[in-house]
Amino acid sequence: MSVLLGQASLAIDPFFYTVIAAGAIAGASCGLLGAYIVALRLPFIGVFISHTAMAGTIFAYLFGLNPTVGPVLVSTIAAMSLAGIRPGRSRLDPNVALGILFSLMLGLTFLGIGLTQDSRTEILGLLWGSILFVRGESVVVIGVAALALAAFAMLFNKELKVLLFSRTIASATGVHETFVYALFLGLCGIILAVNLPLVGGLMIFSLITNPAAAAYQICRGHRAVVLASTLFGALSAVGGFIASYYLNLPTGACIVLASALVFALAAACRTFARRAD
Amino acid sequence: MTGGSLSLSQISVRRSGRTILSIDHLTIPAGAFVGIIGTNGAGKTTLLKTCAGLIAPAQGSVRIDDVNLGRLGPWARCRLRKRIGYIPQSTEYNAELPFTVREVVAMGRTSLKPLLVRLDRQDYAVVDRWIETLGLGNRRDQTFRSLSGGEQQKVLIARAMAQEPEILMLDEPCANLDFNWKHQISEIIERLYRQTNVTVLMVSHETGVLPPACERIVLFREGRIVADGTPDAVLSTEVLRRAYDGAFRVVVAEGRRYTVNAEREGDR
Repeated sequence: MSVLLGQASLAIDPFFYTVIAAGAIAGASCGLLGAYIVALRLPFIGVFISHTAMAGTIFAYLFGLNPTVGPVLVSTIAAMSLAGIRPGRSRLDPNVALGILFSLMLGLTFLGIGLTQDSRTEILGLLWGSILFVRGESVVVIGVAALALAAFAMLFNKELKVLLFSRTIASATGVHETFVYALFLGLCGIILAVNLPLVGGLMIFSLITNPAAAAYQICRGHRAVVLASTLFGALSAVGGFIASYYLNLPTGACIVLASALVFALAAACRTFARRAD
Repeated sequence: MTGGSLSLSQISVRRSGRTILSIDHLTIPAGAFVGIIGTNGAGKTTLLKTCAGLIAPAQGSVRIDDVNLGRLGPWARCRLRKRIGYIPQSTEYNAELPFTVREVVAMGRTSLKPLLVRLDRQDYAVVDRWIETLGLGNRRDQTFRSLSGGEQQKVLIARAMAQEPEILMLDEPCANLDFNWKHQISEIIERLYRQTNVTVLMVSHETGVLPPACERIVLFREGRIVADGTPDAVLSTEVLRRAYDGAFRVVVAEGRRYTVNAEREGDR
């Protein structure tokens, strides 16, 4: 009990408010992004872009370049280049192409780690992130990126809906599909690159996929999906952090498990409630 | 209807080093109803996609109302494509997403509004009118994924019509439906054609789903036009034998033409 009380007093420490705010913003951003990525059936995109950012960070570190601008640029360009891959138009399935690109980036990442002379702790931290050591300015950066994503989602809402439903219909009927898709991918690159140091390349995947998949289980209508996915992402990150704090468990693992739990609850709701669509 | 004509000239579409569509000349005047039939892999869907600018031909030109689609930049191409209502095969849309019927039909208004401009009350009035016209009023707030295949097809037609297109391209709109739904969808297409006089290009494997309004049929085999003319001329035993390597004859019922296997009939 004394331990709990001791931790409860820690919980109101401003330091943890920053961590919770960072978790909520990162989770909400990934959840919102996931609502689109899951519908586009490209969950691998998150892993690919985050590992591109990771390789970018490591090589920026090796060459003594800016550790934020470089990765953001590299992952944004890499993400936007995916706009050219269209299902049915090339012989390669988009997910297979992403798998190949992902393994390439993973190879480059580990090559960079191997070439690093100094301590590798900071670099390896990119795999799981280091949300507990988040700084105030990082929260501002991810907050601005999240606002940009929310603004994009609202401003291009009507085009995004057609894009998710059918890229063929969007393209054939004069929707600015390629432009909006490339913008979306660019924003993906930025969001994932700025969130990477906090949530890490591995955790980002679950925060993109699980909250969105949960929302698609129980929601009716696009707006409900987007709002629920954003909320589930934030809940997974904050809930996972709080659980790890009280149970004294690794934060990253708890956030991943919390997001999986959200999906399991949503799937159970759908099964047991048998809610009519 | 003032616009909606299509013209293809010296078209060659290649994939993996093989020519999958080769057309010397094909003109479809505004307001025509043209049925596109042919064997599997004959190039019917490729033709629709080429007309819509989804596939760029290796050579030749596609003109919509005398505007060469291939010569346009991306923005001008989008402006031109607003005139096209496109209903793809079921593999080309994501039927598993929880979009409501109203959301899907409203997608038809998207390209009519500039970027960053939301759909307004007038747009939704058009959307609701088409929902009612297609008899989907009681399904309006249900999800698209919860509907039957026939109802989904109705929603896609409502979406295409909400766009107020000059050209309507339908790729196998009656595929995978039971005969009652096939008949219903075919009748809806005919009714809409007669009401709006939109130019219709309808791809189908089955001649029986082409409505009586279809006054011209283009028959494809291995990427080439085998016959192009009135249904009576194209659906003759001789032409069908050339295209399908078998003996078929056509039975006409209520203005629709059904193909039956003449060899098997003879066996009996």
